[in-house]
Amino acid sequence: MPSTPLFILVCSESHEKIQMAAMTASVAAVSERPVCVFISMGAIYSFKAGLSDDERYKGSRFAAVLQEKGAPDALELFAMGRQLGEMSMYVCSMALDILGWDESDLKENLFDGTLGLTKYLSDAEEGQLITF
Amino acid sequence: MTQRKKIDARGAFCPGPLMELIAALKLIEIGDEIEVLSSDKGTAADVPEWVAKVGHEMVEVIDLGDHWSIIVRKAK
Repeated sequence: MPSTPLFILVCSESHEKIQMAAMTASVAAVSERPVCVFISMGAIYSFKAGLSDDERYKGSRFAAVLQEKGAPDALELFAMGRQLGEMSMYVCSMALDILGWDESDLKENLFDGTLGLTKYLSDAEEGQLITF
Repeated sequence: MTQRKKIDARGAFCPGPLMELIAALKLIEIGDEIEVLSSDKGTAADVPEWVAKVGHEMVEVIDLGDHWSIIVRKAK
């Protein structure tokens, strides 16, 4: 029986939440569950091209431990989920507009394109939606 | 004859060892095996769960004290 698609909406700038979203998305995708990720609001800052690890993630005490201990990088986990499983990633068109960014401002080879919230929510009706 | 490839993922945190296993499975022939060494306790439980979900074969999980040896056979 096919697995229910998983829709993961990431809005938070918090490293912990982006890390948990990346872990959830990548493990679900490699477990033969279709995954569709939508990046919006403050989360978009962590996906900017050309940042160092220190600049990329903002978080609280646990985020500091994640980096200190060398936990798998969240963006690399998203990339592995795309490479090894059935996973798509979209960036919110409104968030790009507000920042005056376009897709070239984002880390390359991670996104399938831009999407509006209405279309994303419509697609998500066929699966389970989780927000971070 | 069955080939076995070893991945030393000791020191890597969840889900790193699982991801390394899955990437390696893509590159071997059906019937061949991957042995993952992991010091992450969750991985010792997660890999058998993943193997059962996607239809490969669990050969064994061996507790070696400070790490685990997890052996998976590619079945499809």
